[in-house]
Amino acid sequence: MNTAAPDIYPPLDDVDQRIISLLREDGRMPFRALAKELGLTESTIRARVRRLEESNTMRVVAVTDIEAAGYNLLLAVGVQVENRTPESVARELAAIPEVFSVNVVVGTHDIEALVVAPDQAGLHALLNERLATLPGVRRLTPALAVNVLKNQPDWVPL
Amino acid sequence: MTRRKLDDVDRAIVNLLSQDARVSNRQIAAELGVTEGTVRTRVRRMEEEKQIRITAVTNIDRFRDASLAYIWIEVERSHQVGEIASRLAEIPELGFVGEMLGRSDLLAITMVRNNEHLAEFVHGHISSIPGVRRTESTLGVNFVKHDYRMARIVD
Repeated sequence: MNTAAPDIYPPLDDVDQRIISLLREDGRMPFRALAKELGLTESTIRARVRRLEESNTMRVVAVTDIEAAGYNLLLAVGVQVENRTPESVARELAAIPEVFSVNVVVGTHDIEALVVAPDQAGLHALLNERLATLPGVRRLTPALAVNVLKNQPDWVPL
Repeated sequence: MTRRKLDDVDRAIVNLLSQDARVSNRQIAAELGVTEGTVRTRVRRMEEEKQIRITAVTNIDRFRDASLAYIWIEVERSHQVGEIASRLAEIPELGFVGEMLGRSDLLAITMVRNNEHLAEFVHGHISSIPGVRRTESTLGVNFVKHDYRMARIVD
């Protein structure tokens, strides 16, 4: 799925790249300001942005800080699976809002997930009552992020 | 480290912006039954206080490098963790860098093409950092979910 993805997107030209780069810096930059910066008309910019969005190449979104959203804890949880396919367990994990990233992996664990919790009690409930009890989950191996230095949200499947 | 929590009006605004942040203040105001000034002030404050970041996310480039790799890093001496974390944060290919408790000292996440590319990246950029004792890498085979609306906003 992911590997085939790039082929279906139209190639981006220089103008597209510059629009994306300006919108990465400031997603609310007005069309007029974008037009001025790039020396193009406002209607050209509007059409370009629409095309980028409609082709699922780019989206401009608000990313919320997890702490401002009420989650004080971020963990990377390794999941070992038994008696089920990792994919099916991963899909169930993905349905839980606090589990914000889910990857089927090869290695010591079968799935790597990134999860958030409001506090210690919330974390305990999430791990023990919701993740550990999912059919197929054998063991959870969590690690707590005590200092996140970098977290770029812009490398995701849309 | 502690950041102000969003209130109900903030959350309602962010909820609209997290689907499409190009929507105008006027549209948001009309949708929520508040003034345009309220929307403008709230959005600006949330951005300034780094509660939200409004940005373009793309589906290309990175996906030519299709697999996500988790790189766990153990340091020689615990006091080196912060310094090594800062060095890692400067590597453009890394999308996530965190100091961790349990499993290992540091977690770095990147996109790679395959196992070979992963090995090359780890040896070239990470193992060579002074103080890195050992690394353990895990390669993703199926990226099931990533909610881009959530992140730790750092500069």
